[in-house]
Amino acid sequence: QADLQALTRVWVNERGSFDLLQWPQDGLMDRVTSLIKLQISKVEDMTGDMNPKTNFGLIIIQTEVERWKFLLRSYLRCRIAKIDKYTLHYLSTPALQGRLSEIEVAYATRHQQLLHNHYLGSFLSSFPPPLQNLNDTAGGLNMIGGPDEDSAVFARGLGKGLGDDGRVLVRGRGRDQDEEAEVSRGEIVVARWADLQEHVENGEMELV
Amino acid sequence: MALPLQPGLTPTEVAFLCEMETVTVVPRQRLESLPLISGPTPALRPPHRSPLPLWLALLLKRQRRANILPPPWLHPQSLDKILKYETETSPEGFSPPPPHPYLLTTRPASTDTISPPFLPSSTAGAPAGYLPYHWLELGEILLEACPDDLPDPNRIRTQLRDLREVRMAKIRHRTKDLEGGGITSLRGVGAMEVSEGRGFIVGVMDGIRKLGSNREVARREREEYEGGEGGISDEGEEMEYE
Repeated sequence: QADLQALTRVWVNERGSFDLLQWPQDGLMDRVTSLIKLQISKVEDMTGDMNPKTNFGLIIIQTEVERWKFLLRSYLRCRIAKIDKYTLHYLSTPALQGRLSEIEVAYATRHQQLLHNHYLGSFLSSFPPPLQNLNDTAGGLNMIGGPDEDSAVFARGLGKGLGDDGRVLVRGRGRDQDEEAEVSRGEIVVARWADLQEHVENGEMELV
Repeated sequence: MALPLQPGLTPTEVAFLCEMETVTVVPRQRLESLPLISGPTPALRPPHRSPLPLWLALLLKRQRRANILPPPWLHPQSLDKILKYETETSPEGFSPPPPHPYLLTTRPASTDTISPPFLPSSTAGAPAGYLPYHWLELGEILLEACPDDLPDPNRIRTQLRDLREVRMAKIRHRTKDLEGGGITSLRGVGAMEVSEGRGFIVGVMDGIRKLGSNREVARREREEYEGGEGGISDEGEEMEYE
């Protein structure tokens, strides 16, 4: 039951932000995949016994397996979309690379290699050699685009902050003034991602 | 294989999330406890009530094996009270969300950080007079699936629609506040309203931020200049436009 809540929270957070979030470090994904596999094998065992009474129970179990699989698949596809969009950005520093799981790192490197070879084949080889680099950082502008960190997101306070009653102090940066707000548990706020990012990673807030 | 959707949940995904809410069910047939992944279901012995997740309750209802008990806040009187609160008592903010059933203690407990849809806000024991987070989806799903279980479904339908209009108007009005400030609080807003307003509000905030980025940088430099020792600030700093 707690695993379902954790998986849901992780899924909603990932779908809510456009920046790649940390891969859950506590073995959540392995547990979830093994639970689903176990349940599927149970279903296959029960299907052999074609009793009309237990048939209905089978339908319920299958529905639930489909729901878990949907959550898992949607989460993974969302992460793959973000990796595809900003591949070089996530592979650039080890800190950012730590957010990906090992399979994702392998996927990202292969994806980047394929793209690079494709570009080389199509037009890069006809450029003069100094201009052939894809991650050119000369000239003060970084060629690797990262996700826009100041975009707005909706978040909910989780009640783990340091204020009384578990409020979290959030500093919001705006155009005309900077505001500070205390977000109590269950309260929803709209703010910039850069301000909320550390709170979400600490587990003090979740995205909506 | 990548997900082509924008950040943010679509309404169908919000409905999926809402189906994980718990409701109270009055079974009509016996059903033994099933070993689901998220734990065993309670055994159904009519006419005892038992709490079940909404997707399971809907399945049983469609096969006419159970009846769903409407949550206390979905009654016409309760919705009337909430509507009056929204229009008269607080024309700016939304009506308050239901109080969290698990109190915060000094020692951190695992029930501290449960959020909807896992809060028991739609079972028969929930407090009336508050709109829980998934009120719109739950109301619509129940109206569609089990109108015979609800008292006076037509009135409830019109009330839900009125509530929805009032609150959406408030959201649109609040976008004015987003103009200059950094953070806005939307206490008591619902899930579907968030997903509906997300595209609009995020677009507005991003657009205003990009248009005003020059002004913001100038203001920050000015504040630093006034707060610092009075050095000469950097003029002609290049702004990167995304």
